[in-house]
Amino acid sequence: MNWIDAIQNSAYPVWVRESPSIFAFTWILSLHAMGLAIIVGVNAIMALRLLGFVPEIRPQALRKLFPWMYVGFTINAFSGLSLLAANLDNDSHNFMFLLKLTFIALAMTNMELLRAKVFDNPAFVAGGPLPSQARTFALLSLVLWTSAIICGRLSEYPYLVEAFTGIGRLGGK
Amino acid sequence: MIESLNSFFLWLDLGDFVGKNDWVWPICEILHFFGMAAIIGTVGLTDARMLGLAKGIPIKALEKFIPLGVIGFLINIVTGVIFIAGNPVGGPIEYLTNLALQLKMLLVLIAGINLLAFYFTGIEKKVAGLPADGDAPTGAKVVAIVSLIAWFGVIFMGRLIMYNDTLLYALGL
Repeated sequence: MNWIDAIQNSAYPVWVRESPSIFAFTWILSLHAMGLAIIVGVNAIMALRLLGFVPEIRPQALRKLFPWMYVGFTINAFSGLSLLAANLDNDSHNFMFLLKLTFIALAMTNMELLRAKVFDNPAFVAGGPLPSQARTFALLSLVLWTSAIICGRLSEYPYLVEAFTGIGRLGGK
Repeated sequence: MIESLNSFFLWLDLGDFVGKNDWVWPICEILHFFGMAAIIGTVGLTDARMLGLAKGIPIKALEKFIPLGVIGFLINIVTGVIFIAGNPVGGPIEYLTNLALQLKMLLVLIAGINLLAFYFTGIEKKVAGLPADGDAPTGAKVVAIVSLIAWFGVIFMGRLIMYNDTLLYALGL
């Protein structure tokens, strides 16, 4: 038995996958959609403001939105790891799933850079104008989260993805 | 009522189009997820602000993003109609008799009535006059809680459509 099978067949992943309880697979899957809506939805509002929409919001006040994006991310890290462990063999060889993880890693890195370079910028914190990189981070965040959603959905259709890109199951059995 | 709805969806005659074009379904799913994030990001964030979170952002300013949520909602009506009318396996009737979908539509209706209450009972006028860190009145908080429960309930029931048996099992049906 390899490590993938060992994880997939341990108690919690088996419960997530096989329990008939509504709080197993279906609730965790729903949480994943809710977390997605929170992080992507709140990010979109922050990005649109940074791009110049609704200027009556003080850009400094947007800092208050970060905790909500972390709430969304935490919900999805928990639900996502649960779903991954329950379906590790297929997911870990799924091209679109791995691409989605890459986009999420880039989106979170982009978010942290936005926080460090813009929201922790002393001149900006003191009430100065929005640093010029803000627009780039905002635009990138929209592109990266959009890409993550597209890849996440397409990861459920590996046969279509393979027919279109020629990339099937990556490695493994 | 289910009979006449079924006739309507059959009249749309999308079964062949969806059945023969493999990409229609995943593309509509991707759009449905974007619409969901737009609703939660706009309406959900306004609700959260009325409950006292993210003070510093005026409620009136957040309301300016709500048209984006309305666009998301319209996208989801169109894609949702395509899912029901185009269901390649059991046809529209399979969805129309699905308890999770019925509860989802009930929650959408509740969210809609709640939104009308927000705009037409004077609550919106009260919150629109608040300063950036102002505290919303109790009526607005009730609207916000109903809205959040309804929209996150919509997501939960939406995910359960594919797992209706799990819902029936949980309800002892």
